[in-house]
Amino acid sequence: MLAANIMTTKVLSLTPENTVGEAIEALAENKIRQIPVLDADKKLLGLITSRTLMQAILPAYITKGYLKDVRFAPELTQFVENLENLKDKPLIEFLGTRGKDDFFAKEYDTVGPETSTMEIAAIFVNIEKPVDRILVLDDENRVLGIISPVDVFRRLWKQSKTD
Amino acid sequence: MELNVITALLIFIAVYALLIWDKHDRAVVSLLGAGIMVMLGILNQKAAVHGIDFNTLGLLVGMMAIVCVCQKTGMFQYLAIKSAKMAKGEPWRILLYLAIVTAVLSALLDNVTTVLLIAPITLLITDEIEVSPYPFLFTQILASNIGGAATLIGDPPNIMIGSAKGFSFMDFIINAAPLMPIVFVATLVIIYLIYGRKMRIDQKHVDRIMAFREKDAITDVKLLKKCLVVLGLVIVAFMVHGLLHLEAATIAMTGAAILILVTKDDFHEIMTKVEWTTIFFFAGLFILVHGLVEVGIIDAMAEKMLALTDGDVRATAIYTLWLSGIASALVDNIPFVATMIPLIENMEPALGGLEATMPVWWALAIGACLGGNGSIIGASANVIVAGFAARSGHPIGFIKFMKLAFPLMLMSILMAHIYIVLRYL
Repeated sequence: MLAANIMTTKVLSLTPENTVGEAIEALAENKIRQIPVLDADKKLLGLITSRTLMQAILPAYITKGYLKDVRFAPELTQFVENLENLKDKPLIEFLGTRGKDDFFAKEYDTVGPETSTMEIAAIFVNIEKPVDRILVLDDENRVLGIISPVDVFRRLWKQSKTD
Repeated sequence: MELNVITALLIFIAVYALLIWDKHDRAVVSLLGAGIMVMLGILNQKAAVHGIDFNTLGLLVGMMAIVCVCQKTGMFQYLAIKSAKMAKGEPWRILLYLAIVTAVLSALLDNVTTVLLIAPITLLITDEIEVSPYPFLFTQILASNIGGAATLIGDPPNIMIGSAKGFSFMDFIINAAPLMPIVFVATLVIIYLIYGRKMRIDQKHVDRIMAFREKDAITDVKLLKKCLVVLGLVIVAFMVHGLLHLEAATIAMTGAAILILVTKDDFHEIMTKVEWTTIFFFAGLFILVHGLVEVGIIDAMAEKMLALTDGDVRATAIYTLWLSGIASALVDNIPFVATMIPLIENMEPALGGLEATMPVWWALAIGACLGGNGSIIGASANVIVAGFAARSGHPIGFIKFMKLAFPLMLMSILMAHIYIVLRYL
């Protein structure tokens, strides 16, 4: 079984000109946790996830783990202000501000359509790199589909029933 | 000069240069230098191991382990928030109280750990009251080095000097500590004039600070009680270790073992949090400096210095103080002190024995600790806060820091000069 057989081909996406605010709306309206940003040639520029957005809003001393426990803090007022500053930012700029070594920037993984489901399942359970969704790309970096852990299970479940 | 003398000197200078260049891990650099010295036969392995001061290493490891367990209780966060609330949300008073907390904790614990625990809370607090965190972090760096200078266990130079000369915790309390509150107050007065008097208070911000729940910071009351009891016992043991003829490492290591026993903490996990880089950096340095001693370079340097000061204790102490202060601002104070210890030991007979040389030893300790305040690379705590601040989006510029910190450091050395002259000379 290959990635191409289990992936969802209907992938919602945004353009680099869309704003962070629009990305938040798209995530909320469609009840999804991530949305890829594609250029005019449908090539992948990056992935916006609810976690990357949350990370951008919180102060660095929390997101970088210096202050892991903030149970004593009152409501974080900065939170709203940061969101306000961020919402009109085009996605291309937002993605650009995130460093390559950023933990959450690597939150997703990509595979080719020929990748085996075994390999995909192994990516999902890698404890060193928590991945929520895997994007399936062709050789030119164009998005073909998206795979969630549920897709892997659905296929396994079907197979166990037919056996 | 003999060949091995030149070789030893070249290795030592290369290590120093690499440390200043700061491209490579300092532990790797010092261990590599030490390894080359042994391989080239400047000293054999037995002599190299003999050169390592295990009392210094044991004290550091033991205290790091104790702090590692204690920080899990949330007591540092509690103290920081409690002081902000006691300051009633007033920015200058928050800065002042946090500086006092930092200085006191730095005197009793490792400086790096102290600032690393207080600085993130400081940013959270300054975010809530919407002021620049710079004056707060700046003051905390200075406070940690001034506080650390007061005790045997407060700052690595003191640990090394105390260990080499057998000075006790109380020796430092009697000789180094009395100066520090004066330096601390003088430093804060200047910081107030530059930053503090411009700070304004706003009711909205006061409310935000008062909304903090410091009690929630304490994660585990049982653990906290155990930690406070063991920490208290360790500090009492330090106060009497001179009388009991116990070395500081014995107390720190035993304290750490007792604490891990009563808290049932995972030993392996605690040990992974010890800063091994620092420990191996020290080990390598001790070997390097011992190599210099073995080939006789230190003897020659001591002779030169004696010729310079004419064997006068007063002149030697004052030279040592200013040299330590300025050198420690520009290079790491740990290798500097490691080199100065055998140097001054060598000069002791000519200066009239240990008793007569005491002012020189206090000059070295005070100069090296306070000198660390002169630049952002002067002491480990400075480097750690600068790194943290940069990653949190509030970089501390090298020049900006030095513009105020260097004059403040010179002021503190001047105060130390007066103190040493009045007290000992």
